[in-house]
Amino acid sequence: MQYVAEQALNALSIGAEYSLLALGLAIVFSVMGLVNFAHGEFLGVGGYIMYAMALFGAGDIWMILPVCLLTVVITAVLLERVAFRPVRRAPATTGLLTAFGVAIILQNVFLMGVSPRPKAVPAVAVLNTTVDIGSFTFTILQFLEAGVTAIAIVLLVVFMRRTKLGLAMRAAAHDFTTVRLMGVRANRVIATAFAISGFLAGLAAIFFIARRGAIDPFMGLLPVLKAFVACVLGGFGSLPGAVVGGLVLGILEVVLIILLPDFLAGLRDAAVFFIIGAILVGRPQGILGKKAELGDKTA
Amino acid sequence: MDSGRPRRRLWHVEGARTLRSVRGATIIAAFAVGIGLLIMLFGEPYQVRLAVAAYINLILVLGLQIFMGNANVANLAHPGFMGLGAYLTSIFAVPLVIKKTLIPNAPFGLGEVQLGVVSSFVAAVSITGIIAALTGLVLVRLSGIAATILTLAILVIIHGVFVHWVDLFRGTQAFYGIPKVAGIETMMIATALVILVARLFKDSRIGVQLRASATNMLAAEAMGVNIRALRLIAWVLGGVVCGIAGALYAYYLGTVNARAFYFHAAFLTLAMHILGGMRSVTGAVVGVALISVAMELIRHLESGPVILGAQLPDLFGLGSLMLGVIIVLVMCLRSDGLMGGLELDEVLDRHWKRWRRGG
Repeated sequence: MQYVAEQALNALSIGAEYSLLALGLAIVFSVMGLVNFAHGEFLGVGGYIMYAMALFGAGDIWMILPVCLLTVVITAVLLERVAFRPVRRAPATTGLLTAFGVAIILQNVFLMGVSPRPKAVPAVAVLNTTVDIGSFTFTILQFLEAGVTAIAIVLLVVFMRRTKLGLAMRAAAHDFTTVRLMGVRANRVIATAFAISGFLAGLAAIFFIARRGAIDPFMGLLPVLKAFVACVLGGFGSLPGAVVGGLVLGILEVVLIILLPDFLAGLRDAAVFFIIGAILVGRPQGILGKKAELGDKTA
Repeated sequence: MDSGRPRRRLWHVEGARTLRSVRGATIIAAFAVGIGLLIMLFGEPYQVRLAVAAYINLILVLGLQIFMGNANVANLAHPGFMGLGAYLTSIFAVPLVIKKTLIPNAPFGLGEVQLGVVSSFVAAVSITGIIAALTGLVLVRLSGIAATILTLAILVIIHGVFVHWVDLFRGTQAFYGIPKVAGIETMMIATALVILVARLFKDSRIGVQLRASATNMLAAEAMGVNIRALRLIAWVLGGVVCGIAGALYAYYLGTVNARAFYFHAAFLTLAMHILGGMRSVTGAVVGVALISVAMELIRHLESGPVILGAQLPDLFGLGSLMLGVIIVLVMCLRSDGLMGGLELDEVLDRHWKRWRRGG
């Protein structure tokens, strides 16, 4: 019972982390049809800014967290302006490949600017302390991940449903041309989408680095890959789909950690991807995805 | 509708078309092999080694082109198939004595099997093709971005199997003792043949239908094009060509390591493919040639050389950084690549016509 409860929270918190990343991907994709492969590098940006702040003596956690979030948001908006605006009208593959290029550039900027080797970031490790509740053992981080993600999702839903800009973003997911005909600035909608995706990625970066305690230039690769898989699993471009896909992925991972014998533990990622491949054979459009019809935006 | 009659009537047209693409492939292959011959005759040994690496990359990029260039689905699984080709060749071709120390607990009784050079090659490439077909069955059910993500997942799965199935693939340790039977001559012959295959495929009925479906999926489907079947064929053929690249790699180097078949290889070949232009076989040759030369120049800069008496700092990572820059610039400025979807023979023909008209 105790073990089950602990592992359930574990699955929920890992799933929440993937959901945050997947949501950011899905928002940008739904609005402008761009598959932002450089999304994982937002984790790196967050991590390296934390590392830099600790290095220059600004190690207070209440200073680090907002600066980390802000930097990631600014990076996201800046990348849209510099790299993704020129390919906005291009086919999806062009955008995807541009994002690949951006990801490679960022990784190697980290590599050349700091170090190819992992660096410790102890600043946010405070979050990873364990607490005992009754006979259960949890970490604060697990509650934070699940809780903050839930709050972020609620805020996002409120933003999307209650504000004009949110309405414009939802409409843009269906038909951007009409949104622009209504007098909404395309640049503003897209910049907002990137800012939100950056903010969610910044949250994910804090959790991710608190969990691992270290950063390295290529740390964004696997998480973004999993976030993509979560998006595809949930139905690409669907925001609820991204959340559901992320949670399913988290649960799958924890279940496989428990079930796989030690000598197969290394194959966990391979097994997760394999199972998801099998799910997609049955439902190519994802769990919450709809079959595309004529004239729909398609992935 | 009688679909048999018009096809028979058009047979001589198709024959002429095939001849034209064979001619085109010959011109491209002559260009690609010509560079190698020059290096072989006048180059230093290290330049010959670079040329061999470039040829292996070219075969890999052509394998990429067959699927990605025709179906217009970005693919990143190709280093995985190259790795399969390389590892399987090694497993079949390594002498038994060495194999006993390398993989003493090999499954399926592979520890007691040793095949000849050619049969190892054929077996390895065939098995790679079968694995490509199995993954392809899943892949063709998805389209667009979802398909690309699945190719990424396939790469991660294949790499995971290499690294963690220690009994068969030795994990992170290198596989060695493979007979080094391939030299630059083998690479040139193989490259020429693969160029022919890629060009014939591009100009074949399947290739034309596939490219039509990439331009407008609905229109192609409405004309009765079976997109899934065509994509599967292209995927398997591309996978087989990548497997060939891997087998030649193993026969040239004599040692194989899983690290060579992961994201770095994927990005490098992707940049080559994009720079030259995805829709063109010539583009693969051009992209591989340019980036191979550029990477070699950058490699000197990375190690912190002394230029005009000034010691430059180490710039490890500069090469990869430039790959990223190349990809972004090409995509932003000329997303069709340098060749813009044209082939060398088409470019030459245009110039020839213009020259005759002008003169």
